[in-house]
This record gives sequence, structure tokens and C-alpha cells, in this order.
Amino acid sequence: MSEFKLAWQRFVKDRVALIALWVLGILYAAALFADVITPYSLRDESRLHTYCPPTAIHFLTSDGHWAGPYVRGVAMSYDEYRRRIYRETDEAYPLKFFGKGESYKFLGVVTWDRHLLSVDAPGRVYLLGADSRGRDIFSRIIHGARVSLTIGLFGVLISFVLGLLVGGIAGYFGGRIDNILMRMCEMVMMVPGFYLLLALRAAVPDTLNSLQVYAAIVIILAFIGWAGLARVIRGMCLSLKERDYVLAARTMGLTDMEIVMRHILPHTISYSLAAVALAVPGYILGESALSLIGLGIQDPYASWGNMLSEAMNIVRIQFAPWILWPAFFIALTVMCFNLIGDALRDAWDPMLKGRGDQP
Amino acid sequence: MRIPFKTLKSTVGFFLLCSFVLWGSPAWAQSRYNGRLVLAVTSDPKSFNPILAKETSTTTITAHIFEGLTTVDPFTLKVIPNLAESWDSSRDGLTWTFVLREGLLWSDGKPFTSEDVVFTFEDLIFNDDIPNSSRDIFTLAGKQIRVEAVDKRTVQFVLPVKFAPFLRSLGQELLPKHVLADAVRNRKFSFTWGIDAKSADIVGMGAYLLADYQPGRRIVLRPNPYYWKKGAQGEKLPYIQKIEYVIVPSMDVGLLKFLEGSLDAYTMRGMDYPLLKPNEKAKDFTVYDLGPDMGSSFITFNQNMGVNSKTNKPFVAAHKQGWFADIRFRRSVAHAVDKKRIIEIVKNGLGYPQDSAESPGVGQFYCADVMKYAFDLDASRALLKDMGFTDKDGDGVLEDAEGRKLEFNLYTNADNGERVDVASIIRSDLERVGMKVNLQLVEFNTLVAKLTSTYDWDAIVLGLTGSTDPHFGQNVWRSSGQLHLWNPQQKTPATDWEKRVDAIFEAAGQEFDEGKRKAYYDQYQKIVAEELPVIYTALSARLTAVKNKFGNLKPAPFGGVFHNLEEIYIK
Repeated sequence: MSEFKLAWQRFVKDRVALIALWVLGILYAAALFADVITPYSLRDESRLHTYCPPTAIHFLTSDGHWAGPYVRGVAMSYDEYRRRIYRETDEAYPLKFFGKGESYKFLGVVTWDRHLLSVDAPGRVYLLGADSRGRDIFSRIIHGARVSLTIGLFGVLISFVLGLLVGGIAGYFGGRIDNILMRMCEMVMMVPGFYLLLALRAAVPDTLNSLQVYAAIVIILAFIGWAGLARVIRGMCLSLKERDYVLAARTMGLTDMEIVMRHILPHTISYSLAAVALAVPGYILGESALSLIGLGIQDPYASWGNMLSEAMNIVRIQFAPWILWPAFFIALTVMCFNLIGDALRDAWDPMLKGRGDQP
Repeated sequence: MRIPFKTLKSTVGFFLLCSFVLWGSPAWAQSRYNGRLVLAVTSDPKSFNPILAKETSTTTITAHIFEGLTTVDPFTLKVIPNLAESWDSSRDGLTWTFVLREGLLWSDGKPFTSEDVVFTFEDLIFNDDIPNSSRDIFTLAGKQIRVEAVDKRTVQFVLPVKFAPFLRSLGQELLPKHVLADAVRNRKFSFTWGIDAKSADIVGMGAYLLADYQPGRRIVLRPNPYYWKKGAQGEKLPYIQKIEYVIVPSMDVGLLKFLEGSLDAYTMRGMDYPLLKPNEKAKDFTVYDLGPDMGSSFITFNQNMGVNSKTNKPFVAAHKQGWFADIRFRRSVAHAVDKKRIIEIVKNGLGYPQDSAESPGVGQFYCADVMKYAFDLDASRALLKDMGFTDKDGDGVLEDAEGRKLEFNLYTNADNGERVDVASIIRSDLERVGMKVNLQLVEFNTLVAKLTSTYDWDAIVLGLTGSTDPHFGQNVWRSSGQLHLWNPQQKTPATDWEKRVDAIFEAAGQEFDEGKRKAYYDQYQKIVAEELPVIYTALSARLTAVKNKFGNLKPAPFGGVFHNLEEIYIK
């Protein structure tokens, strides 16, 4: 295990990667505790607050006295060009921490009704602004993280199991098996990724409910992603199987499968771990792209991609730029995964450090 | 020394070209034969055959290529001569004689005769091999109109019964016999002039012809060299030499293209108003508001009891069909749809709630006095409860008496952002009364296929185009109609009210007194509002932004901005 320890020591020296790890940790924790953190539930909407801008949080009363954090009510009116103008009214709604709100099942088990941040109705708190139906974008981003962040992980998991197995078998046995498996990989890799994504989505029946759609997307993404990995693992296996310890294992009478699983695949772990981290962004972007064009996660469920589909319109971006927030979170997550992936690769194989062209 | 020579040469060439055009055109008109008009469409045409056309993506294009005997004045709604120069009817209103204009030529130079009119009706519209919506209109009291050629320029129509909107219905596009007769004989007409057709093969009487079609990219039209209509001074029409429809993936792309100046006109959505209106001066265009849209926008439920002959499965699950066929269910939905907020949120307040089957935009036949369903969630819930729906397991979704969840799929087309927004608002409205609705976004042509051939859908959010005469809605409202969305092409009316609507359309079609016709159509609108086969949502204001570069532009409430396209020129 000391190899892992050494690698970890090298990894923690990379400050940027460590920060990225923290950011991702916070995002995943937020997704896990979404119900508590968010002021509003996924289905909550207030149609009188169409594109309400981010709510200002006040601390002082109008005559300058300390009043604790509070928000004001808003009133909407149209101007001569039918633009929505929001003005703050005099009503004040104090911000409550762990106040009572809509009830939910905490972690899917316990029923609870406390929210980290909330205000009493009819006041509304929009930390990042509201969308067309007055839904809180902050709440939806956190709820949507559950989809956007997990779809990548599950997809990667499936395609890595597939990729490791296929690559390992092809590399170890070689010959005809290798030939057949690698041609299969090439068939998948031959088709441009996004079109394959669309074609596979079109093949899925259009009567699925949201959970089935989620599963379908995971499987589709995994199907697209496994081939590239399988090819690299195969290459590594080809060289690994010539090593002395493999010969030793074979002389000791281990079966082929045992040798592949116990002695060859574990040695590809250094590459695999980095590749996992580097592959996740592709899956996240794949889901976002699918949802963005309306073929992924459907309303009312949120994913960062389907939230962004509302921003595919210059009118809305111009008058309500805050609907672009999901794009920020997608970029942030993708960047973090890439930084961690780079750092992992460097940590496992310090000789490669600084040579970005290596797999 | 070389530069002046080159200039001179090109100048000579220019003069030659001009004198050629000048031949036969008044001096002021020479400068009008230039330029192009660039417009955007969001969907590819499905065909270039006007007889088979079912959707606006097709008719937008075919309307330029084909014309009929009559047309309607877009300002007064009066019928005016088009390919026919005059007509006469017998005293009983059953025999109509039309005299065609002299010297009419098809776009391939062959003469247009009364034989072509006979061909269009007898061999195409009344041909059982050819599925088409026009047949519904020209079949009166179960009998077909008889069309006969008296001589080359005279054609006679003999109607089985009186038919009030007859003149108006003769806007029906006419097709050339000399081109299509073979295809009809070989039973290949249904595959003729599809999107794979060679542009030169498509022959029409309209101002423009198909020049080029690149799927997914553009449709280009060129002037018909034999176009019959002449300008006020007898000059050749049309003026604009090229019409280009750019196929854009979405309205948003169209908006961007309009703002960057590569489109000449843009059909606005309410939400575009705040962006475009303040730019009118700076970007040199004008926003025209032509009042409420003539069409309709609605949600409808599949009440089809039929069975797919291939898989032997019902088009829609029997228990769902049972819910959808229950008037209480549809009324419950009508009460739950928040029209006011749809207009506010989706259309930026620039819209009109719709209650009646006819839009206020169609003029005289609109009936305002129909049953209206106020936004009332309690009334909606009460109706569902009355049907036996209760939430047995407390998950917020109702179950019927047999314990089946009130869950269905709601389809709409993904490329129409505004419609997707309406569908998600309706979805969330219905969720509030306890329905679990799965939103399914598909391509527009997939949606058309579901409605007209595969019938495998539960609920659809969609729109239909409108017409100033309700009679032309027959293909939707008659129980035998092709577009009788919720249960199309019935042999006999499935319900009593569908039978009554059939009878109203039958009677109104024979009534010449406009007042009495209005009474009939008021009655049909009342029945539809009561029975709710489709539940109307909201109409957009018809807003079009047009660049300030066109002469002769005369936007008309019943014709749109470019209704007189052949006369429009670029200043």
C-alpha cells in the first residue's frame, strides 16, 4: 500500500488540485444535502416572480439601524417596451436560519421541514435570481447537481468496468480475440460522439418516466465512453503480460482470468484513476448537451443542462443574465475534475510530470 | 492603361443588360427587378405537393408555387377573381360557370386550360388513392362536386347541394394535368413532388418556382417567367428575383440572424418585443402588430379507440382512453390551465386567452359567448374526485378506482421554445391537481406522424392554423376528418355531439345568408367549448419585424405582411 501513500503525498503537494478536490467535495455534499441547503423545493414556483433578479439582502433599516439580515418584497411592472421592472417594496421579511419550510424526506429517510435559509411567504429569497416561472435558480442548481454530478460518476463506473474487462482480455489473450474486440471498439469510436449520443437517444422509446430517462442517459453515455479506455488498457496489458511476475504467476498454475484480474489490471490502476477523473467531465457535458436540446432530463426535474436550455435565447440572456448560472457550475465542475485528473496522473508517475501529451 | 479598359468593358455589359430588361417595362420599374427576400422557417417541408400537404412547413412554400381560381381580399375578406376572370351561378346556386383568364400559361410555358381544373378535382382530390384534406371540403352531403370543362376557357361546377363558401374554397391550388396525369395513372401521385423532387419538374401557376432545396439548409425560389399577373402599368411581376427561406434550428437562431441583418423579416414572439422594439430606429426596421393570431393553440387528449393493425395493440391504453373520453376529465384540465400566466410568462403579456374554437382574429365568425373555464384548481379537483380519482397512497398523484395512477405522457415539439414553455406550465398546472404528467419533447414531424398515422400518444400541446371561414376547419371538426385530432377518420360519429357538429357543418355549408351561417358556427363553437375535445390555451399577438426596405408593403390583418409578395419590391 505504500505506493498509494507515496502517490497521495505527492498529490497533496499540488495546491490547485487540493482546492479542486475541496470544491468538488462541497458540491457533492451540497447535492447530498440539497433538501436542507436549498430554500425551496424542486417543484416550488411563484409565477408572479418571472425573471426576478437576485434578491438583495439588507442589514440596516431605511433609517440606518441594525435590523439583522432581511429581504424586501418586490413589485413588478412593465415599462414602455414591455420589459419587466422589479422594485423593492417596504415590506421586510427577516432571513431565517434553519427555519420551518416545506417538508421533505431528509436523505430519503427522515421527514424534516427545516431549511438552512428561508423567509416567510409571501416574501421570496432568490440568491441567484429566478427563472421564467419564478423558481429559485439557486435551489434548482443544487437539486440539479444530484443529476448532473451523479450521471457522470455512474456513467464512468459502467464504462470503466466494461473498458477494463474488454481491454484486459484483449491485451492478455491477443490474437483473434484481440482482433475481434478491438474492431468492436473501433466501430463505436468511428461514429462522432455527439451523433452517436443522439442516435442512441432516438432509439430509446419516448414513453419513459424521468427515472428511466436518467438510467437511459447513463447507459448511453457509458456505451459511448468504454471503447477509448479499452484500447489503452489493452496496450498496457500487452506490455504487462511480458513481465516476469506474470510468468511467475503462470508457472504457479493460476488461471488466465486470475492473472488478468489479480496481476495485470491492478497495474493499470495508476492510469485508470487519472483517466476516470479526466473522463467524468465528458459525461457531465454529454448529459448537459442532451438536456440542453430537450432530449435529456425533463422539466420539472432539474439538471444543469436543462436549466441552461432556458438560456438558449438572447432575449432572456439580455434581460435575465442570471439564468446562465448553471453554465458557471458546469464549467467549475469540469475544471475541477480536469485539475484532479492531471494531479493524479502526476502523482502516480512523477516521471511524466509536465508532459501533458501522455495519456 | 489597363484599368480604364476593364471598367469600360464592364460598363458596356451593364448597359446591354439594362436595355434588355427595359424592353416592355416602364422606366421606373427597371430598378425594381432585383434583390432577394430572405426569410426563415424552423422546419423542413415534408413535400412540395399541395394536395398532400398537412403542415405549415409545406404550405408556406407551396403557397408561392400554386394558385387557385379565386382568392380572398386580405383587407375586406371578399372573394376576388384570380385565375378565373369572372363567374356566374344558376338561380338555384348549384351550377357555377367560371371563365378563365385569357392566355394563362403554366410555369413550363404550356397553356393552362379548363382541363387542368377538371384534373385537379376529378383525378386528384376525389381520387380514393390519394389521401388529402381537400376532399373533406368538396364532399357535400356525402356527394362529390362534378366538374366539367365546357370549352378551353370555361369550366362548370355542379354542386349536389348548396355550398355557401364555394367561391372561397376555390382558392384550392390547381395542378397541371400534362405533368401529373401519368403519375396518377400509375398510382404514383402520392410519391410525386416529394422533397426529393427535381425542382424543374414542379410546375405551378404561382409567382415563384422552386429553384433549389437543400434539406436542413435552405429553400430557394425563383420568379415564374410566365406569371400571369401584371403590375399597374402592365409590367412583368414579380419584382423580387429570389426568395430564400433559410431553415433555422429554432426561432432564436432566426432572431439572431434578423438582428445581424441576414434576414429581411422575423415573425416575433411576445418575449422578443423588449429586445426588438427599442431597436426599431437604430436597426432600420418596423414592428407590425396585426392583432390576435388566426390559428389556435391547445392541449388535446387521444380518444382514439382504434387498434394498431400491425401490433394488435390499442393506440392508447384502454383505461387512459376511458379517462380522456370522460368530459369531466377534460373539464378538469380546462379549469387547471392558467391561461393568464401563460400569456404573462411565455408571451410577455402580448397575447389573448382563447376559449372558442375560432380565434377573435378571424373576424365575423368568431363567437365570444361560449362556455369559459375559469382558472379554478378546486373546481378541477372536484371534477376528478367525482370521476373516482383519489390519492390512496398519499404521494400526491391520484389513482382511479382500480388503483391505476393518473399518469400520462404529454408531447410537444422540442424546436418550438414557446410551445415547450406552455407545455411545462400546463404540466405543472396539472401536477397541482394530482396528475403525473411526463413531458416528452420530440421533433415536429414526429408529432405530425403521431397525429396522422401512428396515433400512439396520450396528450399533445399543439397549434393549428386558422381560416377566415370556419367551413375550412372541416378536416378538423367533422368526425370523418383527417385532422379530427382526438379520434380521426371515424366511419360514424362516435359521440352525439360529434354528430351534431357534423350536422352543423353540413347545414352551414349550404346556407347563403351570412347571418344564419354565423348562427350555425356560433353553435358549433358553443358545443366545442362545452365538450372540450381540445382545450384552448392562449393566442399570440401577430407581431412581425420587417426591414424598412420594401416598396408596396401593405400589411393586412387577414393576409399578413407579405400577402402581395409579387408586387413588393426593394427600394
